Amino acid sequence: MDNNIAKRIQSLRDRLVYLKDIFAGKHRDNADLLEQRLDTFSEKASADALDDPYAELAGVEDLFAYVERRLENEITPMDRVRIVRHPQRICLKDILENVYDNFTEVGGQDEHSLDPSMLIARAVIIRRRGKKSYQQSVLVIGQEKGHGAEFRNGGSVKPWGNAKALQYMRVAETEGIPIHAYIFTPGSYPIEDYPGAAQQIARNIYGMADLRVPIVAVISEGGSGGAEAIGLADKRLMLSHGYYSVISPEGAAAIEGHVKGGNRATPELIEHCAQNLHITAQDNLRFGYIDRIVQEPPLGARPWHFDFFRNLRQEMLRATDEVVLSTRLFPMFRGFALSSRRNPEANLDEMHMRWGLSQGASNRLREKRQQKFLRFSRNAAIDRRPFLRKKAGAFWDWFCKPWISLKYDFYRKHQRKIESFMEEMGNEWETFKMRLLSPWRKLAGKPKKPEATTARELTALSAWSGEGRRRKWNYISPRYKIDRAVTCPNSASYGCLDLWGPDLFAEFAGVCSHCGYHFSMEPEWYVQNVFDQGSVFEFNGEIEAGNPLNFPNFDERIAEARKKSGAKSACMTFEASINDTKLIVAMLMGTFRGGSFGAAEGYKFVEAAARAAKKRYPFLAYVHGTAGIRIQEGTHGVIQMPRCTIAVRRYIDSGGLYMVLYDTNSFAGPVASFLGCSPYQFAVRSSNIGFAGPGVIKETTGMDIPPKYHRSYRALSRGHIQGIWDRRQIRNNLQQALVTIGGRNLYYR
Amino acid sequence: MREKGFGLNKTQDQKKKKLESAQPVVQEVPDISAHRVLVANRGEIAMRIMRACKKLGVGFTAIYTPEDEASGHVALARSLGEGKNIFRVSSYHDANELMSVADEAGCTAVHPGYGFFAEDFRFARRVKKRDRSMIFIGPSWKIIRELGDKINTKRLARSLGVPTVPGSDRPIYDEMEAEHIAKSVFEFQEGQGIERPLVLVKASAGGGGMGIEEVYDPDQFRSVYRRIRNYALRQFKDEGVLIEQRITDFNHLEVQIVSDRSGLNPVHFGTRNCSIQSTGLQKRIEVAPGFAPETLEYTFDANRVLTNIVEYSLTMAKKVGYDNVGTWEWIVTRKGEPFLMEVNTRIQVENGVSACIARVRGHEGVDLVAEQVRIGLGEPLGYTQAEIATEGVGLEYRLIAEDPDNNFTPWVGRIEHFSWKAEPWLNVLTQIPLDKPYEIPTEFDPNLALAIIWGKDIDEAKARGLSFLDSLQLDGVNGSGEPLKSNVGFLKSNTPRILKF
Repeated sequence: MDNNIAKRIQSLRDRLVYLKDIFAGKHRDNADLLEQRLDTFSEKASADALDDPYAELAGVEDLFAYVERRLENEITPMDRVRIVRHPQRICLKDILENVYDNFTEVGGQDEHSLDPSMLIARAVIIRRRGKKSYQQSVLVIGQEKGHGAEFRNGGSVKPWGNAKALQYMRVAETEGIPIHAYIFTPGSYPIEDYPGAAQQIARNIYGMADLRVPIVAVISEGGSGGAEAIGLADKRLMLSHGYYSVISPEGAAAIEGHVKGGNRATPELIEHCAQNLHITAQDNLRFGYIDRIVQEPPLGARPWHFDFFRNLRQEMLRATDEVVLSTRLFPMFRGFALSSRRNPEANLDEMHMRWGLSQGASNRLREKRQQKFLRFSRNAAIDRRPFLRKKAGAFWDWFCKPWISLKYDFYRKHQRKIESFMEEMGNEWETFKMRLLSPWRKLAGKPKKPEATTARELTALSAWSGEGRRRKWNYISPRYKIDRAVTCPNSASYGCLDLWGPDLFAEFAGVCSHCGYHFSMEPEWYVQNVFDQGSVFEFNGEIEAGNPLNFPNFDERIAEARKKSGAKSACMTFEASINDTKLIVAMLMGTFRGGSFGAAEGYKFVEAAARAAKKRYPFLAYVHGTAGIRIQEGTHGVIQMPRCTIAVRRYIDSGGLYMVLYDTNSFAGPVASFLGCSPYQFAVRSSNIGFAGPGVIKETTGMDIPPKYHRSYRALSRGHIQGIWDRRQIRNNLQQALVTIGGRNLYYR
Repeated sequence: MREKGFGLNKTQDQKKKKLESAQPVVQEVPDISAHRVLVANRGEIAMRIMRACKKLGVGFTAIYTPEDEASGHVALARSLGEGKNIFRVSSYHDANELMSVADEAGCTAVHPGYGFFAEDFRFARRVKKRDRSMIFIGPSWKIIRELGDKINTKRLARSLGVPTVPGSDRPIYDEMEAEHIAKSVFEFQEGQGIERPLVLVKASAGGGGMGIEEVYDPDQFRSVYRRIRNYALRQFKDEGVLIEQRITDFNHLEVQIVSDRSGLNPVHFGTRNCSIQSTGLQKRIEVAPGFAPETLEYTFDANRVLTNIVEYSLTMAKKVGYDNVGTWEWIVTRKGEPFLMEVNTRIQVENGVSACIARVRGHEGVDLVAEQVRIGLGEPLGYTQAEIATEGVGLEYRLIAEDPDNNFTPWVGRIEHFSWKAEPWLNVLTQIPLDKPYEIPTEFDPNLALAIIWGKDIDEAKARGLSFLDSLQLDGVNGSGEPLKSNVGFLKSNTPRILKF
């Protein structure tokens, strides 16, 4: 048999295996048909019994192509998940070799790398205009699955891999070259090390929110946090057979089916979740979270689909050009250039434009990127704010903005100058007076206080306004009414005596009087006991959590959560004051569906940050508890990670003070983005902070984690948080923090 | 008198209630014999409480830990009590366990003794507020809380014109203010002619001698202040400090107050002097009354001081509606100025010396522990101040296994032999069994016995005291074969200076 024929037979065998794998037992008849034809052909071919083996082979190949085209229409969302995870799926190395003209891998080689699952390369694209060729550099970042190579860890990036990515994004920023990010990850590797997974992803998102060069991202397998770590881009493309989701369908099924202790969810439930999470490229294009779909060959791109690579190259050039063009000031040229690039027939290899950006252009680029994300997902929340009030609010904003900017940016600045001048004059005058009067003072001698006054001062009752300092709590947990002894979870190790419930939940504020363990308290406890009484004013309470994906049975569960907690979403935003210093607070409440974060919560959070920026107030995110992104909202939820981080970044860059205070349990998405990016994060004692819970870590990594893995003091030692506070001291500590930390642009500075 | 409550059936009871609501009726005397008291303590005080209950016809339930198996209070509980009257617990400190014992035994009241839960307002509150409410034999929890807070007590005293130690009466948070006060306190002492003025800086939230430091030099104040403030912030989560004069040359006096549950008519049982103390400021000899001006010379009008501190104490007791036994502690300077130190809202170890000189309507045999139980359970006091008199001098030695020459280090070992010559004027309270050897448990303070001695005047009391100490036989040996060390020598050598300033 001809060697060439044998190779092509092998290739067909691979295609058959691939087809069987991705359909996982479905369409068995088609597979059997192909197998039978292939077997017959290869038997005959190996016996050299064929007249024209090439013609026969072409027939078999045609049949394969035909069946693949037909089955293409039958692909379910779960099949897509299997496609992107298949070892035959294209990986980043294939793209580097086929899309770019030249490249050098940086940051490690194969397994000798800080993290082999994160691949970074300086790549070169050569474009021609006429006879002249232009070389353009880009930085390619992405997860490398390596066709199943074990050391690549399936594209699951460890925290230091993400750190490496951020480091090279900064390099791209310095060199002024665009970034192409390829997302091939089932999710980040959920370990808490130095840094922790969530900590590093938050840094990445925060960094990308304000990166000064164009970023184009391509999503093949977009698994929540891992995807967002390199996915905050000006243009987001998606491969037609990829998925982009808040969680893997298996993970969602495990949560939906309340799977515990080594059991696994049924395939039907997983399929059901994959269907209802709306994870396909079409779905995400409809939601607006991606800009364009790159069409793949039937049943997904594999390394031998060279047309696909050519197509991808065109798309990447087009996207990068468009991003650069969008920063141009002159609309006429921009429009012309854009339309020439949008023409599907255009060959972008024959057009050239510089990808470097001027200072002004890069400012416009970042503003556009931030605004684009801020506009996302508003429709996924239920907004019951009355129309007139919204309009009035908008009008008031429009009216107030110049006034506030006059007050703080102009008046305050000059006021300071005048004051310092007056002060100096006063000092001069005092010195002069001292000199002038010194002979007189020498004559008169030192005035003495009569002794009786001193005695009275020291023995009579003094006036004391601070009696309120030793006040009782304004709110105590209703659990104090139950006459029972409560056992401290640390009693086995520290020998704490059982606590009496009425003492514990009232006077002790839920703190074990022996070891200091903090029992969790209700959100109301904080609202009432941390802030000045009567100063709390809630806003945007009418934005309610809904069921944007129409996830089955989820409406009832939301209704149930609303009834149980009395809240309409897991996020409450309010203005409050501490010793008359006003601040804006966004509180994530663990009592509403575990404090999970969805579109409504994101909407409120973004609005709160904007309000704080506008009013020059400090902004506090108090996390009573959050279990992560609300998975039933799918990408509507996951998009809140970059979105809220951008809101926070804009607030911080405007000179505010953004503080985060974690309590009870804070995990996953929110910690890995808009919470974890704050420069000032604190935790209440006995709280847990992390990326994934122990069950998920065991499930995804097979590791048994040590006890107390997520305790706040571990977050403290890896530099995630800056301090651990006693619950009874939150008010005092916040007061102290407001005075001592934060940016230059606070209203009381 | 106590049987008055019996024989009333339910309808009569209801009628009576209706009547009461219609018009005020003479105070009803409740029947206390139906009560059962949990004796939540150990050692000699547990024994005194059990004897008092027996005397009053009230049931009791005692507790003990495994270490205390051999203690006299266990034997006494077995011999005196009936029913479920003794329980073994794992700790005297575990309120949950005490509550379970109380429920199991059907107790209706809890006597905390001294130490342990005696001044713990939370324990008192729990006893009262739990689903199966009981009586806490001691002042009501609100009073314990109010008088247990030193700032509160000081401010209450000042508001009533009761003298307190010169200095601040509120926590100081501001450094400038603190410096100003410290400067005033130094100046004040200089004005008083004090040679080496001292200022005391203490954490306002502290207690038990923690976070206290002396300043002898105004320039040194700031660094001490900062140290204490930081310590207080770390330790007590409150950086407030108190700044006071440090009085070095003083006598420690106290006033015994007794009041029934009405809180309206507190009476006093005279004063005590507890100035003879160990180096760790633990009392070793207590005397009643507080001074003896008839026999001894004082640089001030001692009678006047005694009258004043009694009056001041009663004023405060009335103001807060004090409703059980308690002690107002005073320091009296060499100039005869009294300053209120603190209020102990419990029965004290040395209550026996006041009891032994007290005469109610001329009768001897006053038992303040029994009085505490009786009024604690709700009986009215039944006599007025005018019916209380005192006679003679009482003194109390605390016999302790310790080494006075070596910083009063406790001695631990086995007591082989313990005896003394019985006298009509002598009362020895001890939990040590006299008929067999006794291992001193290491878990508790090494108090062996209290000897209460009465004499018609101070000289007779001292002489009798010395003769008691001479007659005392106390031998023992520890694990390494060394003989027992006790403070008998210390007591003997200090007896001559009793009541001398």
